[in-house]
Amino acid sequence: MEFKDLDPILHSQLRLAVMSLLISVKEAEFTFIKEKTNATAGNLSVQINKLKEAGYIEVAKQFKDNYPQTTCKITPVGVKAFEDYVNNLQSYLGVKK
Amino acid sequence: MEQQPEFTHAQSLELIQSMIDKARNKYSENGFAYLLWGWAVFVCSVTQFILLRMHFAHHYVVWFTMWIILIFQLIYARKRKKQNKVRTYTDEIVSYVWITFAILMFLFGFMFGQIMGKEYYKYFNTALLALYGMPTFLSGVILKTRALVIGGIGCWVLSLVGPFVPYDYQLLMISLAVVIAWIIPGYILQSKYKKDNA
Repeated sequence: MEFKDLDPILHSQLRLAVMSLLISVKEAEFTFIKEKTNATAGNLSVQINKLKEAGYIEVAKQFKDNYPQTTCKITPVGVKAFEDYVNNLQSYLGVKK
Repeated sequence: MEQQPEFTHAQSLELIQSMIDKARNKYSENGFAYLLWGWAVFVCSVTQFILLRMHFAHHYVVWFTMWIILIFQLIYARKRKKQNKVRTYTDEIVSYVWITFAILMFLFGFMFGQIMGKEYYKYFNTALLALYGMPTFLSGVILKTRALVIGGIGCWVLSLVGPFVPYDYQLLMISLAVVIAWIIPGYILQSKYKKDNA
């Protein structure tokens, strides 16, 4: 069986954690993702930016009660990439589908 | 969680699983709307029953307070939407179930009014009971809350009994329906929400 390379954008602990959270919800605020992943704000910002540049997530910035609020949402491209990543992982691990 | 480029495939799957578990069941339902509408409908139906017994001509006026409750609910929902850090698909589906219910209530009210004329409200209560069951039962299934499922079924049972009960006593059946379908589950959801967010 031929193994496909795992998507390098997703094969990183924090980015994969962010994508796994976002695949389960419609949208989530930056603070929610930070809380669930236990990441630092700086590191999380960098990784979210990489996911955004890859077109895997959409990031909306707005003001709520005079405070900046960042909301993230997975895109159809992101869903497809995530599904492919999981399928490839299953192939590597010999998980029968 | 710091950036660690190298991690095994098995760790990847474990991470995905644990994150999905963290996001799952993160419902924002705090029972507020169930309690607000439950108590409002309870008070209105009991008040109308008392007014009817007192032979008050405009006994139905109590229901106009529903518009105030609706405005209050819309303001509250808007505020809550801003406060929520996450919006799940479950939240969205449940809110559309209740929007469908509100639209059906309006349409049924309009149709009954047009077809049956001024005294339509005499025939409306049993239809209302059947309608109350729909969003309650569906929300119970979606939110995995047994009290709502039982409440929804309770409304449908009451709607079957309704036609055999005189009109004024049907109002008390509405009161009973909102106790089992909205008020009791509302308190259960409220206590669950407080526990989850303690």
